[in-house]
Amino acid sequence: MNPSIESHTTCGPVAEKEKHRCELDANLELLRRVPAFAGAPLDRLRLFAFMSKRQRFSPGAFIIRQGDSAHTAYMVISGTAQVIKEFKTLSVLLNEFNEGDFFGGLALLTDFKRPFSVRALTDVCCLSVDRETFMRIFSQSPEVILQIVDSMMKRHSTMFDKFLEKLSPECIANLKL
Amino acid sequence: MIFDRSLFDWVLKSHRWQQLVLFLMIVLMVFLRIFPLEMQKRVINIAIQLKQLDTLYVYCALYLGAVVVAGVLKFVVNALQAYIGQKVLLKIRNQLYEHILLLPLPFFRKTPPGMVISSLTSELSVIGDFLGGAIAVPLINVLTLVTFAGYMFHLNPLLAVLSMSIYPLEIAIIPALQKRLNRLNFERIDTVRSMSNVIGEAVSGMQEVHANAGYSLENRKFGGFSETLFHLRNRMNILKNGIKFVNSFFQSLGPFLLFLVGGWLSIKGRLDLGALVAFLSAYEKLYDPWRELMDYYQDYQDSQVRYKRIMEYFHERPEFAVEPVGRDPYPLDGRIEMQNLSFTVDNGIRLLDQVSMKIDPGSQVALVGLSGSGKSTLAMVIGQIYSYNGGRVLVDGKELRTLTKMDVVSNMGYVAQQPFIFDGSLLDNLVYACDSIREYDRGGRECAPPSPSQVLQAISMVGLSDDILRFGLNTVLSPAHPIGAVEEIVRFRNRFHSKWGAALADSVEFFDYRRYLYHSSVAVNVTFGTPNRDEYKYHVLHQNPKFQEIVEESGLMRPLVVLGQDLAAQTVILLGDLIEDPFFVRQSPIPPNRLDHYRDLVERTAGMNADDLERADWDSFLLLALRFTPAVHTMAAFPEGLPSLIFRTRFHFIERITKEEPEAFTFYRDNNYLFNETILGNILFGKLKSDAPHAMEEVQQRVAELLDGESLHASLMGLGMEFQVGSKGDRLSGGQKQKIAIARALLKNPSILILDEATASLDNASQARIQHLIDSDLKGKCTVISVAHRLSTIESYDQIAVMRAGKVIELGAYDELLARKGLFYELINGTKEAAL
Repeated sequence: MNPSIESHTTCGPVAEKEKHRCELDANLELLRRVPAFAGAPLDRLRLFAFMSKRQRFSPGAFIIRQGDSAHTAYMVISGTAQVIKEFKTLSVLLNEFNEGDFFGGLALLTDFKRPFSVRALTDVCCLSVDRETFMRIFSQSPEVILQIVDSMMKRHSTMFDKFLEKLSPECIANLKL
Repeated sequence: MIFDRSLFDWVLKSHRWQQLVLFLMIVLMVFLRIFPLEMQKRVINIAIQLKQLDTLYVYCALYLGAVVVAGVLKFVVNALQAYIGQKVLLKIRNQLYEHILLLPLPFFRKTPPGMVISSLTSELSVIGDFLGGAIAVPLINVLTLVTFAGYMFHLNPLLAVLSMSIYPLEIAIIPALQKRLNRLNFERIDTVRSMSNVIGEAVSGMQEVHANAGYSLENRKFGGFSETLFHLRNRMNILKNGIKFVNSFFQSLGPFLLFLVGGWLSIKGRLDLGALVAFLSAYEKLYDPWRELMDYYQDYQDSQVRYKRIMEYFHERPEFAVEPVGRDPYPLDGRIEMQNLSFTVDNGIRLLDQVSMKIDPGSQVALVGLSGSGKSTLAMVIGQIYSYNGGRVLVDGKELRTLTKMDVVSNMGYVAQQPFIFDGSLLDNLVYACDSIREYDRGGRECAPPSPSQVLQAISMVGLSDDILRFGLNTVLSPAHPIGAVEEIVRFRNRFHSKWGAALADSVEFFDYRRYLYHSSVAVNVTFGTPNRDEYKYHVLHQNPKFQEIVEESGLMRPLVVLGQDLAAQTVILLGDLIEDPFFVRQSPIPPNRLDHYRDLVERTAGMNADDLERADWDSFLLLALRFTPAVHTMAAFPEGLPSLIFRTRFHFIERITKEEPEAFTFYRDNNYLFNETILGNILFGKLKSDAPHAMEEVQQRVAELLDGESLHASLMGLGMEFQVGSKGDRLSGGQKQKIAIARALLKNPSILILDEATASLDNASQARIQHLIDSDLKGKCTVISVAHRLSTIESYDQIAVMRAGKVIELGAYDELLARKGLFYELINGTKEAAL
C-alpha cells in the first residue's frame, strides 16, 4: 500500500512503537518532561496536553518575534532554534534551544512585549500552549504557577549574571539599575 | 408645514370624489334602513288586517329587497372607507417621515430612535383605523338617527319626545368621563415612548450591558415603565367601560318608557298596534347608530390625542431647502471664505466664535486643536450639516445658508469621524452618495452612475482592493451560478496547484485521492466527496443503507464501531466534566448537547464486546467514528491498518456511487467544483494543516499574486462588492468602514472634500496611502479640509488653523506656526513628549 496512508499526522519524530499511540498521550509525555509541569495533577495536565498544539517551523521562520505581544509558550519537540536580540542594523545570537527545552513560559502568566526573537535554525517542531488555556486549567493550581515562575526566574538570573559579568564596573555604574 | 395640519384636514383634502361617492351611498343606505320599517307597519296594518295575500307578498318582497341592498351597500361603504383611511394614513406616514429626515441634526441628538419608530408605526396605525371612518361614520349615524327620529315623530310625537328625553342626560355625563380618559391617554403615550427608548438604548448598548452584566438593572428600568403602563391601561379600561355602561344603561331605559306610555295609549285606543310595533323597532334601531356614534367619539378623542402628541414632537423646521427651484444645482469651485462665523447653541454656548478664514480652490487646510476646541463643529458647518447663526460662510461667493442641500452635496464630499454603513452590499454603500444625488436628478443634468472601473479605481485609491478580493474569495457560490465562471475557478485551481502545490505541501493537506486525509473526518475519507442528497449528509450517513452495505462489504464496519467506542471513552474521560465550558469542547468530537448521551453509553457498555451492542448503541458509536479527525481529536488514535482499510473502502464507495447514484455526491476530483465550499476553499482544494501556524496568510497571498491580471480577478472583485456588510456594517472592521466612507465621497468627484478625523481607525500604512492620495491626486483639484488627529500628517498642508474654545487662534503654514512658538508649537511638542 502507498506509504502516505499510514503516516503520522503532525510534526515530530515518532518511534516505531509509538506509531499507533494517540498524539495526546505523546504530548502529555513531553509536557511531563518540563520541570514546571512535572508536579501538576495528571488529569489537569492531560487536558492541557489536549489543548496544546504542535507547530512546525521551516528553517529561518520566526517562532517568536521581538516586540510582539506574548501569549504563547513553546516546548521544542525536535530541531534547533536560536534566541536573537534584534537591533536596527544587526542581530545578536544569545542562546540556543534544543529538543526538550521550554521557552516563553512567562507568557502563560502575563502579557508583555517579547524582548527577544526566536528563529528556527533547522526544521523545528514545537508544542505550543497559550495563556488562556493555561489560566483556565491551572489558575486554581498555585504550585504549577510557582514552578513556572521559579524555572523562568532561574534562567533569567543566569542570563543576567552572564550579562553583568561581561560588563566593566564603570559601565554597570552608568546603567543606574 | 406638516405639523400645522389638523387631523381632519388630511381627510377633507384627499380623495374627494371617492368621498362624494361614499356620501351618496350612505344617503341611499339610510333611506333603505327606514324603508323596511314602513313595510313592517303596512304588513300589519294593511296586509294582515285586510287579509290581502297579494299585498302581503309585495310588501315582503320589498322588505327583502331593501334589506339585501342595504347589506350590500354597507359592505361597499365599509370597504371604501377602510381604503380611504389607509390611503390617508399612507400619505401622512410618508410625508411625516420625509419631514423627519429633513430635520436638523441637533434634533436627532435629543431624540431617541425608539421614539421616532413608535410614532411612525404603532401610534399612526391606530389613527389610520380611525381615519377611514372619520367622515362616513358620523354621517351615517347622524343621518340614521335623524331619519329614525323623524319617522318616530311622524308616528307619534309624544312617544318620540319621551323616548328621546334620555339622550341629553348622556351627553352631559359622557364627555366628562372622556376628558379624564384623554388625560390618561396622553400619559400612556409618554410612557410607551419612554419604554421604547429604554429598549432602544439597551439594544444598541448591548455590548455595555453584557460587559457589566447590566441585565437586572436594564430590566428594572424597563419594568418601571411597563408597570406604569399596566396601571394606566387598567384605569383607562375602567373609564372606557364606564362610558359604555352609562350608554347602555340609559339606552335600556327607553323601552321601559315605551311599554308604559305606548301600552297605555294602545289600550286606550289612541295608538294602533302596527304603529307601536314600528315604533319599538325604530327605537331599537336607534340603538346601533347611537352606540356607533359613542364609539366614534371615543376613537376620535383617542386619535386626536395621539395625533397631537406626534405632531407636537416633530414641530420643528428643516434648516435647508433640499432642491433648488427653477435652476440646476450650482457647480461650485472650491473657494471658501468665512467671515466672523459664529455658531451658538440653545444654552448660549458659543461652539464657534468669530471664525474668519479664506481657502483657495484646490488648497488644503488642516483644523487642529484639543478635543472640544470646535474643529469638528467647524467642519460640520462647512459641510452644511449644522447651520450657523452669526457671520457668513461663502462657498464660491455664495452664502452657504441659502444654498440648497443639492447644491452642497453635488460639490462636497463629507467623511464623518464614525461613518455610518448601511445594511446591504458593499457596492450599495460605495455608490450611496452618487445614488442620493441621482434620486433628485429629474431629467436635465446628466448624472451617470459610476462605472465599474471608476468604482474599482476609488477602491484601490483608498486601499480597499485586498479586502474586497478576500470577500470575493470567501463567497460560497450557489449551484445556479453560470457554469463558465465555475469552470474558470476550477482551471485556476489547477494552475494554482501546479505552481504552488509542492511549496504548500507542508501547510496544506490537499484533496488527493491517493492519500489518507488526516485533517478530514473518516466520513470524508470514505466518501471522498460532498453529499448532494439529504440521505447522504454526514450526520445521517451512518443510517444510510447503501453506505452501511458498502462499509460492511469492505469489512470496515466492526473496526469503525470499535474506534467509536474508544473515541467516546477517551472523550468522556477528558471532557466529561467540562460540558459547560465551550472553550474546551471546541475540539471535542462529541457536540456538547450529546455529551450526556455518550457518558451514559460509555458507562453502560464499558467492557462490552462490539458484537454484543444493541443496534442503537452500535449506530451511536459508528456516527462518532465517522466524525473522527486524527489531527484534531488527539485523544484517540487509529489502530494499525485502519487508515489503509478506509482508504480501500473509498475506491469501492466511489465506484458503487458512480455506477448507481452518480448525482448523490460531488467527488473531490480535480475538475469538480464544491458548492458547499468558498471559492478560496475550491482553489485550495484541501484542508490547512493544524501544525502550520501561518498557513492561511501564506495561501491568501499566493492566490492573490497568481490572480493578478487574470479575468477571474475582476469577477472575484465583483463578487466581493456584493458582500453583505450587515446591519450598521458590523461585518466590517473600523478601518474598512472608514475606507468605504472615503471611497464613497471620492466617487462623487467633489470639488471640496471634508475629512473629519476620517483616518483615525486606519493603520499607519493605510493612513499614509490616504495622505499620499491627498498630497498628489487631489492637490490643486479639490479643496481638502481635514480635521487632523495626528499632527505628523499635516506638514504639507497649505494652511493650518489652530482652534481653541471655538476660535481660530493661529493660522498659517506648518513652519510659520512652529516658528511662532504658540499653541501649535505646544501641541507638536506635547504630542512628542506624550509619545516618548
